[in-house]
Amino acid sequence: MSVPIGDYVTLASVMFFIGVIGVIVRRNPLIMLMSVELMFNAANLLLIAYARLWLQNVGHIFAFIVITVAAAEAAIGLAIVVTTFRPEKYVDVDDIAALHG
Amino acid sequence: MTHQVLGVVGSYPLLVALWLLPLAGAVICWALGPQLRTLAGWLASGLVGASFILAVLCWHDGTQSAAGTVGANQPLFSWMTGFDFGLLLDPLSLLWTFIITGVGFLIVFYSIGYMRGDPAFARFFAYMSFFVFAMLTLVLSDNFVGLLVGWGLVGLASYFLIGFWFDRPAAVAAARKAFVINVVGDVGVMFAIFVIIANVHSSGFGDTFAAAGTLGPGVILTICIALFIGAAAKSAQVPLHTWLPDAMEGPTPVSALIHAATMVTAGVYLIARCAPLWNASHEAQLVVGTIGGLTALLGAILGTAQWDIKRILAYSTMSQIGYMIMGVGTGAYEAGIAQFFTHAFFKAQLFLGAGLVIHALSDEQDIRRMGGLWKKMPFAFWVMLTGVLSISGVPGFSGFFSKDEVIYGALQHGHPWLDGIGIVTAGITAYYMFRLLFVTFLGEYRGEAPVHVGGPGAWIMNVPVAILVVPSVAIGGALLFGGDASPWAHFFAPLFAAQAHLAAAQTPAPAISENFTSVIVVIVVAIGFIIAWQRYATAAARRDAVQRLRREAETMPAVLTNLFYFDAAIDAIFVRPAQAWGLFFGRVFDPRVIDGAVGEIVLIARGLGTLVRSFQTGLLRAYALILVFGAACFIAYYAVAGAAH
Repeated sequence: MSVPIGDYVTLASVMFFIGVIGVIVRRNPLIMLMSVELMFNAANLLLIAYARLWLQNVGHIFAFIVITVAAAEAAIGLAIVVTTFRPEKYVDVDDIAALHG
Repeated sequence: MTHQVLGVVGSYPLLVALWLLPLAGAVICWALGPQLRTLAGWLASGLVGASFILAVLCWHDGTQSAAGTVGANQPLFSWMTGFDFGLLLDPLSLLWTFIITGVGFLIVFYSIGYMRGDPAFARFFAYMSFFVFAMLTLVLSDNFVGLLVGWGLVGLASYFLIGFWFDRPAAVAAARKAFVINVVGDVGVMFAIFVIIANVHSSGFGDTFAAAGTLGPGVILTICIALFIGAAAKSAQVPLHTWLPDAMEGPTPVSALIHAATMVTAGVYLIARCAPLWNASHEAQLVVGTIGGLTALLGAILGTAQWDIKRILAYSTMSQIGYMIMGVGTGAYEAGIAQFFTHAFFKAQLFLGAGLVIHALSDEQDIRRMGGLWKKMPFAFWVMLTGVLSISGVPGFSGFFSKDEVIYGALQHGHPWLDGIGIVTAGITAYYMFRLLFVTFLGEYRGEAPVHVGGPGAWIMNVPVAILVVPSVAIGGALLFGGDASPWAHFFAPLFAAQAHLAAAQTPAPAISENFTSVIVVIVVAIGFIIAWQRYATAAARRDAVQRLRREAETMPAVLTNLFYFDAAIDAIFVRPAQAWGLFFGRVFDPRVIDGAVGEIVLIARGLGTLVRSFQTGLLRAYALILVFGAACFIAYYAVAGAAH
């Protein structure tokens, strides 16, 4: 007795929107990075769910690629956060706008 | 296509050597000038002299004749298929080579004395050697392109030497003027070469002259007139003559070598060299002959109204070249060349003699501040006297024979009015040359500058002048006497014989003989001499010289003091419109149109940039919001579009 696909879609959508809201609302870059990871995972969940539904391996392969890219993204993102906020006392993305035109 | 080449093709190392020796002198003097010091002068004159000796040794090669062609041809290299460069030494270029290196040697040697103590001593000799090389390139080239290269290089050398004293604004202006007018001529020659290459597919003299009979009369006329524009600019023919008197700003030896003996006769050489083209176009001959006669007359008239000793000689040069152009233009090639030959001697002598005077008077050139110099400088007086007698055409002197040939040649080839102009000009020539002689040397000394004569090294200047006296007195009689049987006619017979037969067949023999015109010329010259004597040499004239000369200067007609308004006309027609264009482009077109267009483009880019910049807040969360909003729009669009299906 398998879980119906609609449940997977609902769960993934909820996770994705929690991630989106997190990126837009929170000002701590670490939380924002975690929210981005949440969105990745929502997408991964959908990929795996549909791969199982259609009995195709392409979804698995894509999921692995996304995990790899997400790891790299997290590493670079954390590095940027550390170097950018090292001189600052508090960590707040609204305080930095060095690329303001 | 078979190539026609003038001269007997072969290997002539002496010819190449005589061509390159002056170049070596120029390079050495230029590179090692500060180390060489006065040695530069000896080196430069030595190499030019060596070049002259080689030219003498090449006599046999230059006059050999085989298979219907005369002279020596040394092929050097090919710059394109069908465009070969080689050296051609035939009687015509041999004669020019003799004058360039022979008279050139004497003048360069003289310069060692004249330029003594000049801070740029070595530079002067580098330029002089360079000029000799350029002039040899011009006359020795066996094709039109090589001729044009030499043509341009002598103009450049002339520019360098007129502006030699570049701290004098007048010298710089004169150099620039000479260069610009000469470039007008260069363009004419270049245009002629384009027409020749388009029609003949070669730039060689041999090919071109072989094809002269097959070209249409319009093409021939175009080539001849374009070539003549070049000749007129280089040889100071009306209306392109205005640079020559100004060119007297250069050192006097330069005036003697470049602006009297050699470079300004390049136009005569060009026309004589292209005789087969001119023979094929009667209209071109008419134009050239008329301009030559006009120049002879105008130059002589202007010569009567000058006070600067070198400017008098400059206008006289212009007038004498007018004779030469008249000679070669009307088809009397041997006569025109003879005039070039004797003129090279007596005009170089006159300039160098004037240089002795100018040098002794510390650069004074105004003859009103001279006078009485025959007592102080007897050597210069005798030099100038023989030169004046020769140029005036006094019987027995060289100038008499050559001028006679030109005047009679015009008649012989069916141009009686040019004959008349020539006779009148001869009288005016006698007048202004004796005026120069009398005002400078007779009476009492009127200047303030002390007269320095002699001193150590004076012989360096005196010896070349003394040598020049000999040919300028005697060479005409030795070579030109005897008409068609003279050594001169014999020398040039292989080149111009066909032309002589052609002319004899076309034009009826003139009603009056050569002796008769000679007598008329002598009478006219005597009248010119008598007028000059009456005005400047009688006892009364010598006593009141100061007042008389001042009155003459004050009552001089405006048309003469303004030099027939040629400068003003050129100014009004070419210079000022060009200046107006320049001002328009500089002050209106460039700032308003060019800069304006660039400015508009900048404004547009800046406006766009300002607009786009406002999106770039640098706030990470704002970017995220926009991203999400965009994605939402995207999804909404497909949702609506999907629903519509």
